[in-house]
Amino acid sequence: MNLEVNGKVLAVDSPADEMLLWVLRDELGLTGTKFGCGAGICGSCTVHLDGVATRSCVTPVSAAVGKKLTTIEGLGSGDRLHPVQQAFIEQQVPQCAWCMSGQVMTAAAFIAQSPNPSESDVEAALSANYCRCGCYTRIRTAVVRAAAIQKEQV
Amino acid sequence: MSAKTTAKKPKTKRPWRLTRRGFLIGAGVLGGLALGANAALTRGRQFVADAFNSGEGNFGGPPNTPSLWLEVSQDNRVILFVPKVEFGQGIHTALAQIAAEELQPDWKNFQVRVADTARGFGDSAMSTAGSTSVSASFKPLREAAANMRVMLEQEAARQLGVSAGDLRVAGGRISVAGQPDKSLTFGEVVAAKQGEWQLPTEVPRLKASRDWQYIGEAVPRIDFRAKLTGQAVYGYDARVEGMLYGAVARPPRYGATLKGVDNLEAVQAMPGVEKVVVDPTQNFAGVAARTRSQARRAAEALQVQWEGGITWSQEDLEARVQVPRSGRGGTVYMQNGDPLQGLRQGKRVEAEYRIPLAAHAHLEPQAALVDVKPDRVEAQVSTQVVQTTRDGIVKATGYAPEHVVIQPTYIGGAFGRKGGQDVAFEAAMLSKAAGKPVHLGWTRLEEMRYGYLRPPSHNLLRGAVDESGKITAIEHHIAGGDVFLGLGTFPEAVGSVFGFDPGALSGAVPLYEFENAKGLAWRVKLPVPTGWWRSLGTIPNTFALECFMDELAHAAGQDPVEFRLRHLGSDQRAQRAKAALQRAAELSGWGQTAEGTGKGVAIGKYGKTVVALVAEVSAENNLIKVERVTAVVDCGLVVNPNGAEAQAQGSIVMGVSSALKEKITLKDGMVEADNFGLYPLLTLSESPRIRVEFINSANLAEPYGMGEPVIGPVAPVVANAVFALTQKRLRELPLRLA
Repeated sequence: MNLEVNGKVLAVDSPADEMLLWVLRDELGLTGTKFGCGAGICGSCTVHLDGVATRSCVTPVSAAVGKKLTTIEGLGSGDRLHPVQQAFIEQQVPQCAWCMSGQVMTAAAFIAQSPNPSESDVEAALSANYCRCGCYTRIRTAVVRAAAIQKEQV
Repeated sequence: MSAKTTAKKPKTKRPWRLTRRGFLIGAGVLGGLALGANAALTRGRQFVADAFNSGEGNFGGPPNTPSLWLEVSQDNRVILFVPKVEFGQGIHTALAQIAAEELQPDWKNFQVRVADTARGFGDSAMSTAGSTSVSASFKPLREAAANMRVMLEQEAARQLGVSAGDLRVAGGRISVAGQPDKSLTFGEVVAAKQGEWQLPTEVPRLKASRDWQYIGEAVPRIDFRAKLTGQAVYGYDARVEGMLYGAVARPPRYGATLKGVDNLEAVQAMPGVEKVVVDPTQNFAGVAARTRSQARRAAEALQVQWEGGITWSQEDLEARVQVPRSGRGGTVYMQNGDPLQGLRQGKRVEAEYRIPLAAHAHLEPQAALVDVKPDRVEAQVSTQVVQTTRDGIVKATGYAPEHVVIQPTYIGGAFGRKGGQDVAFEAAMLSKAAGKPVHLGWTRLEEMRYGYLRPPSHNLLRGAVDESGKITAIEHHIAGGDVFLGLGTFPEAVGSVFGFDPGALSGAVPLYEFENAKGLAWRVKLPVPTGWWRSLGTIPNTFALECFMDELAHAAGQDPVEFRLRHLGSDQRAQRAKAALQRAAELSGWGQTAEGTGKGVAIGKYGKTVVALVAEVSAENNLIKVERVTAVVDCGLVVNPNGAEAQAQGSIVMGVSSALKEKITLKDGMVEADNFGLYPLLTLSESPRIRVEFINSANLAEPYGMGEPVIGPVAPVVANAVFALTQKRLRELPLRLA
């Protein structure tokens, strides 16, 4: 099986029904995508499949074949961070940051679709991503800010 | 024979030379200069340490190894090694600021690392808990950094042939005043050094606060780029060549003992399985396999004979967690005046408050990578407490503690739960049997059921207020599960010395001054594992006290803010709480209420930090929503306003989540919840708007804790606001109107 991960085609040995999360983390060593619940509830494992935010802990690896898979490691381009990553640093959002790959990937897919979100749009879009440290206050403002950065950089 | 008798000490043990004034000089990892110091134990911890040392245990460590140190390498990097783990508190950044203030390194080449246990640290210093990381490190870190700067200056003066008084230090460079081209970097000074480094003969003067450049500034977190690009390594991310993955069989009920496994050979033959380990003496059965899924499938396939255990339901638990109506047998933790007499002198109020079992619900489950080698064990663990981690590995392997090297990693949320390290024990059991490194990461189900939980508690309060609105007496009775004592970290003897779990009493002694008061506590031994949860007993005790103060205020017909101000004591901490409360009332527009909302107030303390909160709530279809929280915090000196604010915001969110949503229930001797479906957390859309202000009303020159103080008053501030809105007193967490 071949996967296109962050622009590179990689051969994968895992069985087709293995969850994508574990293939990324354990087989490919891309540990930036995090495990939180294994049930698609917390959102820590979010990646992009053809730009769509997808919970990799409940997605079999076979579902990623033939799609462009992006993880947190490949979200920016080279040294340049993605607008969401920039905004999250600017607004000093994370605490422990275990959930942040999932928050960032969810937010990145969201602002690609909704380039002018209000804070309540952000609330709706990111309310299925848990943050136990309670960074919600800053997530709310940072995603709006990320959309503004995205616009400046187009 | 085992490695215990044949192995040599690991060679990485760094020899430290103890100098005058308790500093330690060593060679840096990178061949430079290292200077270390020991962070003083807080009084409370020293007490516990002494209790330990009087028994069989040895707290070890200081003064022969430093608990924190600075290294300057020949390539001009400066590394600060700390015994404190970063799990979101921002302490690595704050500690870097404190050190940089005196040392003046090149900030871009300044790193913070958690050292492994082979290179320093008495075990006692190597724990990250109790909101003490910044406060306990503040003085020794500044002193170590100042000494190191002077050592570098003196050596630079010798190398440049000038007097040290003519030198200026900035950005990791030492230059001659007025001759900026005549300068050396720290790295150049270290590289050209010959002979032994000596501590300065005079004690260096620390910078005056008016000259601070780093302390007090909102310096950005130093770990965010790595964390937002997926590069930072947490315990769950630890990898090493050739490692296997582990999984463990779990009992169906608490207290069940493992008798054996019926199908060991069949499981051993499953795909990818390298080793099945069954050890009834350790109550352990687990599997090491080539992939994580293979390990988990094999562990699930194990037909384990479990015997005994409890059959408790939620009702059984609640019946046990109960203050005895007789009032007999408790431990007195507070007494003054004559409370019985005082209770007769006014209008009497009585109320009971309960909090349930709760999960920590950090998003990174327990994780450890353990490699049991012939001569030593190497482990990378998401751990707050090295000692419990090492104890677990020693128990699993029989190796001597000094042959166990632990590298704490970044941690994905801790909240007290990364302090007991079953996972390191389990990974060590598997690695030892398999002869290969094993990574073990718990599932969410394991995290919900097989760790320890926040203990449940029951609080009974009686009080009376006279016609002038003054409290004439308070009686506070507390019954609760263990915080410290159930974890095996402390010998049972410590429990009998205290009579009651000291962790469960956190926050029980009020900031208020009561003429007549009595506090009694009962330790409830439960068959369900309970332990540390952010701020310990401060959650139930502040919930009970601050709700009850509200009830008394209403009984007296007084404004809840005025009523509290009137009863706050005269000591400095209570006076600081008063200032915080006045400011919170002002900031939040206390006295004005928007349509459809209610406002409540509560105060709290943890260590020397004091907090005042005002919350505004609404309720639609009986669903409580916390709209806004205003927090005024006095933690003394604020080292990093950005990090301190984040701790306050996070504590409020976690506190609201606990107050409105979280409850662990038992069924058939086991926790019912298997995942977040049955234990949902607060989400972004349910999260309040938060305003935080810091004050330092007594002009304190040292920082106090910020990790835990703000969470204590959150549940009562919400309950008090719900009362203001609905006239309903909710006295049990989670708070529910229907």
